[in-house]
Amino acid sequence: MNPSEPAADERNALVLVLRDAHFWVPTIVLLAGLVLLRWVS
Amino acid sequence: MGELTGLQLANVAGESVSRDRIRVLQRLGVFCGIAAGAWLGAAEAPAKLVSAGLSPFLISFLMVVGVFLGRWSLPAALRGTAGIRTDIRNAPHLVIWAIIAGCLWSVANTLTIFAIRDLGLSIAFPLWNSNALIGILWGVLFFHELKDAGRGKWIAVLGGALLMFVGGILLARASARQMSPQAATRGMVAALGAGVLWGTMYIPYRKAYLSGMNPLSFVSFFTVGELCMMTALAVRYLGGFKELWLQIVAVGHLQFWLLAAGLVWVIGDIFQQYAVKYIGVSRGIPLSNSNQLWGLLWGALAFGEFRGWGHSAVAAAIYGSILMALGMAAISFSTAGKSEYGQWREAAHREQRRYGIDAQFVSSAMEGRASQTTSSSRWWDGLLVVVATAVFVWTAGLARLPAIALNWQVVCGLVTVGLALLAAATLFLWKLTRFN
Repeated sequence: MNPSEPAADERNALVLVLRDAHFWVPTIVLLAGLVLLRWVS
Repeated sequence: MGELTGLQLANVAGESVSRDRIRVLQRLGVFCGIAAGAWLGAAEAPAKLVSAGLSPFLISFLMVVGVFLGRWSLPAALRGTAGIRTDIRNAPHLVIWAIIAGCLWSVANTLTIFAIRDLGLSIAFPLWNSNALIGILWGVLFFHELKDAGRGKWIAVLGGALLMFVGGILLARASARQMSPQAATRGMVAALGAGVLWGTMYIPYRKAYLSGMNPLSFVSFFTVGELCMMTALAVRYLGGFKELWLQIVAVGHLQFWLLAAGLVWVIGDIFQQYAVKYIGVSRGIPLSNSNQLWGLLWGALAFGEFRGWGHSAVAAAIYGSILMALGMAAISFSTAGKSEYGQWREAAHREQRRYGIDAQFVSSAMEGRASQTTSSSRWWDGLLVVVATAVFVWTAGLARLPAIALNWQVVCGLVTVGLALLAAATLFLWKLTRFN
């Protein structure tokens, strides 16, 4: 691979992240945090 | 160069990295964790100067603006934005991870301000410091931390984290006796919720550093998520952009202290990022949670909160501090051995395969070295530093020191210790890794 080229296509970055099961843990925690914030405010 | 297979990656990382290099990088991580604790604790000092009565959303928003300025200007000054571009080209997916981490931080930080309002800092602090236990859980589950570490290191890390937690509770109880005890359920839920959010935020941190991202690049995108989320929250809960602007203008004399709190916090967080990179979540976070100890030192000695405390409360504060120090020591001396380091390599290999990252980029970063040389500083790096400095100087010109009694000798002493730790950790990082 040429080092000046991107290692992963930026267009695929979002797809790769969405396919990563780890991604859903912080996402769910973030949504729960927003609900909690609404409750305490 | 990018054609290396996973097995070769493991060999590159495993054979070329000497045992001495691993050991010295882990010492660097421990030192960064200790420096992080000092600076994260000091971040409370400017925020304490701000009189009560401001909206938690406004306080959090102004702190995030200070954080944003710090997170773009400090990396630009230390490494230049060219390095950030190189990192993003190699691992563009980490921009998304950094942004979600920033969103988690903003929501957690706002929750802590509600918790402080309802419970007081001293009770809320140890509750959200439970983030270390959440961090250890994710580190073990997702990143092979403590795998093959041996029973002794498990006991040291878990025992150390528990000692620090119990020490924190003791400190809280010592302080709580000095105020009207109105432990509201709402405040406790907010503090524990912040702990879960902050503990989960370390999933993106660790993922970034196993993938070869430089901590200074990661924080630059992290703060975009922070600012966007915080702006959305402030606009939503304060009643629109106009109301937010009016409230910012109305607290012109306090803006500097909140921006400064954000900047001091950034310095601590940068060290925390390096600690997570070199010793992992399960050790880095408990060490940087020693910020509670520093917060107590600032509160008790600089702000005179010990005045009027009973003998038993002072004793509890001292015992709590000793427990926290023992916990720190237990974790500091339980750095990962060769076999656990091999497990980290496996986790890095998984990330490299999953996202198609250049293998050399990943292995160089694990060794604390840059895989590619980046071009030197550009004019806009200097501009970023100048703009951030101008904002701080301008708001400092408008600032007034609130009428609060301070022990200036202690303030000077704590500032000197903080600056000494900053200088030593920066030098250590530069000599060993050139901030990689």
